[in-house]
Amino acid sequence: FQLPARVHVPGLSSALGRSPNTLVAVRRVLLAQYSPFPSNGADVYEEVLGSTAILSTGNKNLDKLLDSGLYTGELTEFVGAPGSGKTQVCLSLAVNISCELKQKVVYVDSTGGLSASRLLELIQSQVDSAEQQTDALQRIEVVRVFDVYGMLDVLQDLRTSFTQQVGERERGVKMYFPLGVGVWPIVLGSQVKGERMAIMMQLARALKTMARELGVAVVVTNGVVQDMGGGVKPALGRSWSYVPNARVLLQREAEMGSLQETKRSATVLKSSRQVTELHITGSGTLENQTATDALDNT
Amino acid sequence: MQRDLGSFPLPPGLKVRLTGGGFQTAEDLKDVRASGLSKELGISREEALEILQVVKRESSGKETPGSGALPCTRRYTALELLEREQALGSIITFCCTLDEILGGGVPIAKITEICGAPGVGKTQLSIQLVVDAQIPECFGGLDGESVYIDTEGSFIVDRVVDVAEAAVQHCHLIASSSHDEEQQMAVQTFSVSSILSHIYYFRCHDYVELLAQVHLLADFLAEHPKVRVVVIDSIAFPFRHGFEDLSLRTRLLNGLAQQLIGMANDYKVAVVLTNQMTTRFGQGQSKMVPALGESWGHAATLRLILHWEGKLRFASLYKSPSQREATVPYQITSHGFRDIQPPGPFSSSPVTENPRKRPRAEEQEEQH
Amino acid sequence: MGGDGVQGAACELHGGYSGDNRGGGDRFKGLLARLKGRSSLKNLEPRLFTEEGLASHGDAVEFYGPEGTGKSEMLYHLVVSCILPELAGGLQVEVLFIDTDYHFDMLRLVTILERRLPQGTEDTVKGCLSRLYLVQCGGSTQLLLLLHSLEALVCSHPALCLLIVDSISAFYWMDRLSGGESINQQEASLCRCIEHLEKLLSEYHLVLVATTQALMHVPGSGVYKSDGVSAAWLPLLSTAAQYKPYLCKSWQRLVKHRLVFSKCNNNARDNKLDFTIVSLHPKSSVVSKCAFTVTDGGIQFL
Repeated sequence: FQLPARVHVPGLSSALGRSPNTLVAVRRVLLAQYSPFPSNGADVYEEVLGSTAILSTGNKNLDKLLDSGLYTGELTEFVGAPGSGKTQVCLSLAVNISCELKQKVVYVDSTGGLSASRLLELIQSQVDSAEQQTDALQRIEVVRVFDVYGMLDVLQDLRTSFTQQVGERERGVKMYFPLGVGVWPIVLGSQVKGERMAIMMQLARALKTMARELGVAVVVTNGVVQDMGGGVKPALGRSWSYVPNARVLLQREAEMGSLQETKRSATVLKSSRQVTELHITGSGTLENQTATDALDNT
Repeated sequence: MQRDLGSFPLPPGLKVRLTGGGFQTAEDLKDVRASGLSKELGISREEALEILQVVKRESSGKETPGSGALPCTRRYTALELLEREQALGSIITFCCTLDEILGGGVPIAKITEICGAPGVGKTQLSIQLVVDAQIPECFGGLDGESVYIDTEGSFIVDRVVDVAEAAVQHCHLIASSSHDEEQQMAVQTFSVSSILSHIYYFRCHDYVELLAQVHLLADFLAEHPKVRVVVIDSIAFPFRHGFEDLSLRTRLLNGLAQQLIGMANDYKVAVVLTNQMTTRFGQGQSKMVPALGESWGHAATLRLILHWEGKLRFASLYKSPSQREATVPYQITSHGFRDIQPPGPFSSSPVTENPRKRPRAEEQEEQH
Repeated sequence: MGGDGVQGAACELHGGYSGDNRGGGDRFKGLLARLKGRSSLKNLEPRLFTEEGLASHGDAVEFYGPEGTGKSEMLYHLVVSCILPELAGGLQVEVLFIDTDYHFDMLRLVTILERRLPQGTEDTVKGCLSRLYLVQCGGSTQLLLLLHSLEALVCSHPALCLLIVDSISAFYWMDRLSGGESINQQEASLCRCIEHLEKLLSEYHLVLVATTQALMHVPGSGVYKSDGVSAAWLPLLSTAAQYKPYLCKSWQRLVKHRLVFSKCNNNARDNKLDFTIVSLHPKSSVVSKCAFTVTDGGIQFL
C-alpha cells in the first residue's frame, strides 16, 4: 500500500469514487496503526526508573568516569589509537559483567581481536573454581562479523532472539553488548560517500534502538584519525559524533618501543551526565589505574 | 522485524525504487512475490528476485564458494571459541623469546603486522614463517602450506633454501635423538624440496595487482585447505608511492584489511603483513611510526615492531589482544631468525633489562 | 478540567482530524482550540531570546551546533522551565518532545528538574513530568506519520505550547540515499514533514524548537573576513560563519530565530566548559550573543 499520509484525501476520493468520510476513517486507522504514539513523561520516568541498570565496569576509576558504570539503554564508545587498549577494555568489561554480575554478554568481534584464551586468563583472575570459570565463559557469546551488512544482520538476529528469550525467562536479565564496531565495517561499506553515511546511520539507529528497546548497555569501539592540527580525533566524522551517549578517549602515554611500563589514560569526551571533562591516568598505585593497566598487572 | 530496507546490501538504484514504491521495512516485503514486485517497481524479475532473497536473507546460490552457510553470523559461546582457538595453534618463529611474548608463536586466524626499518629483518622473519608453517605435526608444527605475496621483489629463493635446510636439519636432529617412530617417518618426506614446492609465490607489481590477488585469494585458499600462513611483503610498498588521493588509499586499505580478516577467520590462516616505518612530526619532535597512517593501525590484531638498538636488533610487541607488551632481542643468522646466543638466560625473563648491554648500545647509536 | 473534557469529547467525535478536509465540524473544533488560546511563551528564557522574546505563536527556532556544544542541555532547560508549576517559577505548560536520535535522557532531565524544585517530592516531580509528552521515531516517514497523528493530541491538550524536535536533521543521510540522484526526491520526505509542521504551528499557535546537527564541514571555519566590522564582532561573526545550511529550503524559510551553539575553549577555569550562543535572525540579520555554562543542575547563564 502507499503510505497514507502522502495521499491527499480529496484527490483520492475522486479517484476511487469513495466518499471522503470513508477515506478519512481509513486514514485514521492507518495512522493509529503505523505512527509512533507519544507517551506521558511521568510514565516514561517510571519505566526508566524500573528498567535502567548501571553495570559496574569493575574498575573504580572507570566507573567514576562513566558516573558509576555503563547504563543500560545507552551507547558508550571507547575511542583510541591502535594499541591504546580498546580491546582490552572491552574484554575486561565482558569478563566483569559475566563473572561479577552474572549477566549475559554478546561480543561482536569485527576486528578479529578477540582472544578466548585472554578471556579465560581474565576470568581465572576473578574466580577460582573451574566450574565457575566455565559458567562465566558460557555467559559470553561471540559473533564474528567483518562487514557492515553482516553486522546489521547480526543485530537483527539478536533482536529477534532476545525478544523471544524475554518471553521465556523473567525480565531483568540484562544483556551487555560490547562491539568491535571499528572504523572498518563502515568506511569500507561502499565507495560512494552518501551511501556510506546512510549505512553508518542505519547502523547507529540499529544500535540505539537495540539499547533502548531491549534495555541493554551497548559498548562500541572506534579508531582515531589525524586532525588538521596534528592531534587526533575520533574517526567516523561529524555525523557519528552525535551517536554515542558517552565517549571515552583512551591514550597511551609512553613512547613506542621504550622498555618502560606503558602508562595509559582515559578521558571522558562526552557524557550527558558528567559535566566536566574528567581525566584519569594509569600511573601510580593499582588503585589509580585504568582498567587496562589493572589488567596488565594481574 | 522492523528493519529498514536501507540497511540491506542492495544496489542504491534498487533502494531508491523501493522507497519510491512505498516499501520501507522488511516487513512490507513479507508477502510480496517477485513478479508482483517487478511489476510494481518497474524492475526486472531478476532484480525483484534478488531483492527478496537479500531481504529474506536466503543465500542466493551465487554466494562465494567455500564461505558455506554464512559462517560469520554464527554465535559461539566463549567456551566453544576457546576450544576452537586452542585447536588452532600457532606458527613458531625459531626464536624462543619471541615465541614466548607472542604466546607460542604467530597466531592462526589473526592478522600480524611486522613493522620496521629497511634491513632490520622483516623479510627474514617472513621467510622463516613460510618455512616453519610446514613443520610436521609430530614436531609441534602445523604441517601446513604457505602463500607468499611479494610486492617488493625481496623474496630470494637462495635464502629460503638456507632457512629451509636449517629447519629440516633441526627436525632430523630431534628425530635421531628421540627414536620416535612417527618422527622418523615424518623426516623422510620433510625436505628442502618439499618445503619449496609448498610455498605458493605471487609477485604483485602495484596495488591493483595486489588487490586483485587478495580478491582471488579466497578461492585459492578454498582449493588449498592446508595453507596456514599468508605473507604479504610488504603491504606498504604499493600504497606508499604515487597515491594522490589519500582518502581513496584509506578506503582501499580498509577494504583490504577487512577481506584479510575475513579470510584469516574463515580459512584458519595466519595473515602476516610487513610494513615500513615513516617519520611523523608533531609538537616539535619527530618520531618513527609505522607507515600507512593512523587508521591502518587498527587493521592488524598484533603489531610487532622490529628496531635497532645500536648493533642489536629488538622485537617489540606493540599491540596484542592476549599478550602484554614486551621487547626481546633477536638476531639473524645464516640459518634464519634466531635467539641471541645463548638463549638460556633470556628465556626466563621476556623483558630484557640487561644493564650490561645498555652503554654499548648507546655508543653504537652515535655512529649509526 | 470541565472545559478540557468537552474539548476532548469534541475531538473524539471528529477523530482529531482537520487537515485536508475542512468540514463544518473541523472549523468548530479549530475555533474551540483557538478561543481557549495557548499560554504565551513570552517569558520563556528571556536571556536566550533577547530581542522580542519568543512572543509570537507559530515561531520556529533552530538550535545549530556540533556535538557537545550544549544543545541538548539547553533543550532540557527549556523543557524544565515549561513544565515547572507557576509557583516554582515555571510556565506550567505542556511540551511535546520528539526524539529522533534516541538520545533523550530522562534521568538527566529529572536531575535538572529536582534542582529547580527546592522541596520537591517524588509526586511533584511526577506532576511536572506529566506535562511532558515524549515520542521517539526512527525515520522520516515515521516522523511524517507522527506529525499527521499529532493533531488529535494538540487539539485535546490546550496547554501544549512547545514542540521540540531533537534533531530534525537526524534522517538526512538516510533520506539522501533513498532519494537517489534527484535532490527533490532526497528532500521530499523532510519537506513534507516541514510543510506539516508549518501547518501545525500556524493553526494551533505552537512554538517549535528544533536542533540541527552540524553535519557538513565548513571550509575555513573560524576565519571570517569582513570589512567595516568592528573587531568586537569578529568572534561572533566567525561563529556565525560556522553555520552552513544544508536542509531543504522550506526549513530555511520556516525558521525565525537561529541560534548557533559553540564551545568556548579559551576558558578553562574551574575545569568547567563554557559555551556561547550566537543568535542569527535570518530576516533582520541582527546578531546577538550570550554565554552559558553547564553545571550538575543544568544551564547557568553567564
